[in-house]
Amino acid sequence: MKREQAWRIFSGEFNDSTVEIEGSGEKSPSYVITPLGSKVNRLFAIGVLTDVEHVSESEDMIRAHISDPTGVFTLYAGRQYQPEATEQLLAIEVPAFVAVVGKARTYQPEEGTLYVSIRPESVREVNAETRDRWIVETCDHTKQRIEAMIEALKMNQPNAYDLRKLGYSKDLSEGIVTAIKNYGKIDVSKYISLVKESLQYSISSKDLFSPVKEKEKPREEKTLKSKEEKVESSEKEVDDSQDIEQIVLDVIKDIEGEDGASWDSIVENCKTKKLDENMIEEALTSLMDKGFIFEPVLGTIKTT
Amino acid sequence: MTDEEIQTYINDILEILADSSEKKVTREELEKEFKKFLEYGVPIEHAKQTLLKKFGGNFVPTSTERSLLADIVPNQKSINVISRVVTINPKNVTIKGEDRKIFFGILADESGTIPFTAWNNFDLEKGDVVEISNAYSTEWQGAIKINLGDRTKIEKTDDSKVPESSIEPKEYKIKDLKSGLGSVEVTARILQINQREVDVNEVKKKVFSGTIGDETGKAQFTSWHDFKLEEEDVVKITGGYVKSWKGIPQLTFDEKATVKKLDSSKIEKKDISAKKLPIHELVEKYGALDVEVEGTIIQIKERSGLVHRCPECNRVLLNNECNIHGAVKGVTDLRIKLILDDGTGAITGIINRELTEKLLGKTLKELEKSKTDEKLIFEDINKTLFAHIIKIRGNALGDDFGVSIIAKDVGLADFDIVSESERLIQELEGL
Repeated sequence: MKREQAWRIFSGEFNDSTVEIEGSGEKSPSYVITPLGSKVNRLFAIGVLTDVEHVSESEDMIRAHISDPTGVFTLYAGRQYQPEATEQLLAIEVPAFVAVVGKARTYQPEEGTLYVSIRPESVREVNAETRDRWIVETCDHTKQRIEAMIEALKMNQPNAYDLRKLGYSKDLSEGIVTAIKNYGKIDVSKYISLVKESLQYSISSKDLFSPVKEKEKPREEKTLKSKEEKVESSEKEVDDSQDIEQIVLDVIKDIEGEDGASWDSIVENCKTKKLDENMIEEALTSLMDKGFIFEPVLGTIKTT
Repeated sequence: MTDEEIQTYINDILEILADSSEKKVTREELEKEFKKFLEYGVPIEHAKQTLLKKFGGNFVPTSTERSLLADIVPNQKSINVISRVVTINPKNVTIKGEDRKIFFGILADESGTIPFTAWNNFDLEKGDVVEISNAYSTEWQGAIKINLGDRTKIEKTDDSKVPESSIEPKEYKIKDLKSGLGSVEVTARILQINQREVDVNEVKKKVFSGTIGDETGKAQFTSWHDFKLEEEDVVKITGGYVKSWKGIPQLTFDEKATVKKLDSSKIEKKDISAKKLPIHELVEKYGALDVEVEGTIIQIKERSGLVHRCPECNRVLLNNECNIHGAVKGVTDLRIKLILDDGTGAITGIINRELTEKLLGKTLKELEKSKTDEKLIFEDINKTLFAHIIKIRGNALGDDFGVSIIAKDVGLADFDIVSESERLIQELEGL
């Protein structure tokens, strides 16, 4: 029996899925078909683990969320059947970058509505570099699916045989044909922009932190270094949004302490560095999206 | 086409119609229509079938139409072919608890070759030319296969229907060689050759085997005839067929094949190296000789890290006991078994002590000294390697549980986030 591969897929594509195909035989696996034709039984994703909570009173089931640049994956794990993954999820202090390998699961509350989630097989903490690599790899795979979909939509009768002749894998070719059958004509432009935005995001986060991240320096040193840079940059005209984000992030680190920094004090402090309120707010939103900061309590910010 | 040939076809048609048809058609009428089809470039066989249908009513069902092997697609039913048996071998299998003898081999016609499985004994022999009706096709290990089952009829027919000379050898690159191909032409460099003697029906016979390669990959070969091959020769082998062992293709040829030595600069040694391929291709091929794959480590399997092996048989001990030899004093070793997944497919990677040390940057001795707890070492390996992208080079073998690659070399993959992102952004502009 073939081991199911782990698809690289953004939550933005996965969560759009409304189709599941059940295997026919006794042991044959079932698959979630995404709009771009991924035929997902297993997937591999990396993102920011934002919260882990007990679903039931007996504390047998937990729910967790992992955020990527395009949206949020929902995970459900049970102590009884996924003891390892459940332990791992409960042990990780949120927020953190995590990698998850898991099975696609569906929930159908009523006819025509399908919710997808992940049942984790294993979860581990990873570093930002590994997360960035996953984003780029997933962009690459999503792009290939977009290309395959465009090719299939050009065909009179989209079929797996001709797609495979173009060099696409058996699973993707079959997935694409099933997707077209169920979703009709798919709007690929939505996913093209999804990939573009994710790439922009990965490049900007790379530019912002790469010198520190690559060497994996301890946090004290990181703060020190950026302080030195800050002295220089505050003299200059601040014109780049990434510089703004760096400044705001440094301010938060300076004042957050144990309990986090209040929104107002961040704005106050940043204003002394020649930033206006709009710029600050924009930078905070962006930093939050990228997973560098989070809001444990409304109005309070902490770095990750 | 000469007039004489046309007349043979017309005769053919008239003969069939005479047996079956109520309608009467004159020879002139038939000839006129037939020639018209040919003028329009309709393939001759198709023209014949169309006329038979037209004048013979429903008597001639379309399913008796002969397919060419090259046109067969997976999951086709009621296939009719005329072909030559290139190879045939028996195999004992257990189907639903019942022991059965099946036969597998290769069929060929003027359009190409296809592997087959005969689920019953049809008394086929190598070299037979047969008319097969009501066969069906499936897909197996990435190749289209024809099946001869309970409802299949096979009749031996005249040798001249598919003369051996009509089976044109087809040129293949080594990466495209897969089990079941016949009448293959390959141009390759002999990388290694050995000679041994085997008993064939109690007669001693010399066999030559080794590895060959071209710029697309490497494969094994077996020659049942002494072509005076030597290492470093570059040869064109015409008329071989392909078998496989655990997914590794094996080009087989005998005295019926022709082997022509070419200038050795035709394939330079430096151009032959392990080829990189996506994992789904390797899984679909079922295995390959000396390839490279790149993927993410998504699981480190149990009993990786520090293991103890049986001093007798080298098996990894479980609770200090060998499966075969019972309680023994184990020999300490270091190895990793992992799942490598590139999003298109997944394989098992097996990494020996030397390469594990290279990958971890730690030696077995250092690991033994630092932590004696094997669980901690396992956890440490997981922390270091999980979710990392690595490349593995080696031989990939397939069995019922999937494909495993035995590492000959291993290393972290070169993955530059910025340049890779820039490439993708550029390519997206074209969509």
